[in-house]
Amino acid sequence: MTDSPSPERSIEQAIQTVFPSLIPDYPSGTALARYRTDTHQLPELVRFLHEKMRGRLALLFAVDCRPLEKKCELQYLFAFKSRQPFVLVTTELIGEERLFTSITPSIHAAQWYEREIRDLFGLIPQGHPDLRRLVRHEHWPKGTHPLQKDFSWNHVLERQQGEYRFSHIEGEGVFEVPVGPIHAGIIEPGHFRFSVAGEPIMQLEVRHFWKHRGVEKLFEQLPLIDAVLLAERVSGDTTIGHSLAYCQAVETLLHLDVPRRAKYLRSLFLELERLYNHLGDIGAMCNDTAYALAHAHCGRMKEQVMQLNDRLVGSRFLRGVMQVGGVSWDVDRSQLRNIVQELNGIQKDFSEVGAIIFANASLTDRLETTGVLTERIAWDHAVTGVVGRASGMDQDVRRDRPFAAYDELPVNVALYRYGDARARLRVRGDEIHESIRLIREIQARIPDGPIAIKPDRSASPGTWAVAAVEGWRGEILYFVSAGDDGMIHRCKVRDPSFVNWPAIQWAVLGNIIPDFPLINKSFNLSYAGNDL
Amino acid sequence: MFRIIKKSLKTGVVTGQYPESERPSEPINPAVTEKAKPFRRSLAIREVDTGSCNACEMEMNALLNPVYDAERFGIHIVASPRHADALVVTGPVTVNMERALKDVHRQTPDPKIVIALGDCAINCGIFKGSYAVTGPVERHIPVDVRIPGCPPRPAEILEALSELRKERP
Repeated sequence: MTDSPSPERSIEQAIQTVFPSLIPDYPSGTALARYRTDTHQLPELVRFLHEKMRGRLALLFAVDCRPLEKKCELQYLFAFKSRQPFVLVTTELIGEERLFTSITPSIHAAQWYEREIRDLFGLIPQGHPDLRRLVRHEHWPKGTHPLQKDFSWNHVLERQQGEYRFSHIEGEGVFEVPVGPIHAGIIEPGHFRFSVAGEPIMQLEVRHFWKHRGVEKLFEQLPLIDAVLLAERVSGDTTIGHSLAYCQAVETLLHLDVPRRAKYLRSLFLELERLYNHLGDIGAMCNDTAYALAHAHCGRMKEQVMQLNDRLVGSRFLRGVMQVGGVSWDVDRSQLRNIVQELNGIQKDFSEVGAIIFANASLTDRLETTGVLTERIAWDHAVTGVVGRASGMDQDVRRDRPFAAYDELPVNVALYRYGDARARLRVRGDEIHESIRLIREIQARIPDGPIAIKPDRSASPGTWAVAAVEGWRGEILYFVSAGDDGMIHRCKVRDPSFVNWPAIQWAVLGNIIPDFPLINKSFNLSYAGNDL
Repeated sequence: MFRIIKKSLKTGVVTGQYPESERPSEPINPAVTEKAKPFRRSLAIREVDTGSCNACEMEMNALLNPVYDAERFGIHIVASPRHADALVVTGPVTVNMERALKDVHRQTPDPKIVIALGDCAINCGIFKGSYAVTGPVERHIPVDVRIPGCPPRPAEILEALSELRKERP
C-alpha cells in the first residue's frame, strides 16, 4: 500500500509514467479508464497492470464489430483494490487478421477466456499453452464459431467425429476415475477426470460446457429492454444477481437514473437471494459429510425464505421483479415489517443451528484442511466471491464498487484466510447474519418514491457499458453494447463460476476422492452460468 | 446432545407446511398410468439435466427437504439410471448433452416413464431455436408426463407425481 500515496487516479498516473504514449478515455457513466493499444504493446501493458499494479484480470472477451466496422476487438478488464476505477485495455484485429498474442503465459487467469475466444470467434491466441477446445465439444464441425456476426443464431450444427484428449499422468499404480457428465445427485452435468494413485488425487481435469445453450448469441437477437428475461435464466439460482447486473449495464447505456426506492428494493432482493442460497449451501455441505440433521434444519430455513419470496412477489426465485429503469414490484411498509420479523426469527433459528454445527467435532474434522485453496492460487486464478473471501482475497463489489443502495449501506465483508472447506462455510455463515442486518437497515432507511422510470431514449449503435454486481457466488460482470434499432450488439456474461471452476482443480490436490463432493459443494459453482 | 434434542423439539414437525399447488396438474394419459402400475406406490427417479438454468434442479432438491419430504410418498431419487423407474429431464437438450441423454434413456430398464420437467424440457422455452439447442426432450426420447412451469413449484411437481401413482379402478 505504500507505493500509492494518493488513492485517486494513481493507476492512471503510474501508467502515464511507464507508457507515456497511452492516453485514456473515460466513457460516461462507468467508473472506468479505457486504453487503446496495439497488439505489440499489449502483453507488456497487461503484465505491468497485473504484476506491478496488482490488477486482477476480471474479464477478457472479444467483440466482433461488424456490421459497423470490419474488425474484432479484444477487451481486457482489470480490477484494482477498493474504490479504484476499472482499467479496460482494448486492442483490435483489423479485417481478416485472426492471430493475437496470448497473455496466458504471464497471467494464468486468462487461460479459459482465451480458449473461449478461440472457440466462439475463431481468433487464435498465439503462445497459449493449451489450445484444446473448450466450449465447442469435439463433435462440432470445424470452422463453426458461433459469435462471429455471419454465423446465424439458429444455425443447425452437424456432427463430426472427434476425440477430446485429457491430460494423463502415467506411472505405476496410477489410474483414472471418470465422473459425469451425469452425476449421482440432483446436480447439473459436468465431467471430472481424476488421476489417482491409491487414495489421494494427483490431478483433476474439469471438462465442462455440456450445457452450452448459446446464451450470448441469444442476447444478440433481443432488444436491450426485453433481454432481462434471458438474463434471469443464465443461472436460475442467481436470478436477481444476473438480471440486476444486466439492468445496470443497460441503464448506463441509456443514461437512466434509477429512483432511490428502486435501488433499495434491488438490494433487498439481492440479499434475499443471497440468504436462501447460503442457507441451502451450508445444509448441503453438512449433508456431504453425512450430517443429515444440519441439512434438514438448513433445508427447512431455505424453504422458509423461498416461500417468503413467493408470497412477496409470486416467484420463489424472485423472477420478474427486475426491469430496466427500476423494479416492477413494490414492497410496502407492512410487508417490509413482516420480512424483517420473519428474518429475525430465521436469524435466531440459524444461530442455534450454527452453534450445533460448529460444536460438532466430527464435522469440523471433515471440513478443516479439506480442499485448501491458497491465497496465491486464488490470486493466480483471479478467484472471486465466497471462495475468494475464504482464501484471504478481500474483495466484495458491494463495498469496492457500490451499486444499488450499497453506497448508503456499508457492508462488513467476511474474510477468512485458511482457504479450506470450513472457511468457506464460515464465510457463508457470516454473510447470512450480514444479509439479515442489511435487510433491517433497508427497512429502516428505505425512502418513498417511484419504483421505476421509463426509458425515454435509445442507445446509439456502438456505445457500450460494463456493470458489476456482487451476487451470492461472487462478482457478476456484464458488458453490453448497443446495436441498431435498440437491439443488443454484444452481451458478454461473466458468472463468478467461470473463474472459480479452474481453481477447484488445485484445491482438490492431495485430497481423497470421497472428499471431492464436499469440496465441490463448498465451492458450489454454477454449471449453467459457466457454460452459458 | 441436549441442545440437538431441544432444537428438534422446538422446531416440531414442518412437513406439509407449504401452500397448496394452485395450478391443477395436467391430466395424465391412461396409457401412462397403466405403464406406471408395476411401480405401485413407489417411484425411483433419476434426474437428468440437459441444459436447464438450474432452477428446476433446485426445486427437485427442494422435494427432498423436510417441508415437502417426497420420500413419504415413496418417491426416491436414485443414483443411477439402472436403478430408476422414471427419468425426470430438465432443460432444453443442448448439442453437447444430446448423446448423454440418449445413453441414459437406453440404460434405464423397461418399463420406464419419462417426465419432462419445466417449460424448457417441454418446448425449449427462451432457448428455442438456438444453434446450441437441438430441441425439446421429446424430439430425442418419448415423453410420458409433462410438468410445465418456469420452474414448476415443488407442490406442483409433487401433485403431478402423485397423480401418476394414483390407483385407478
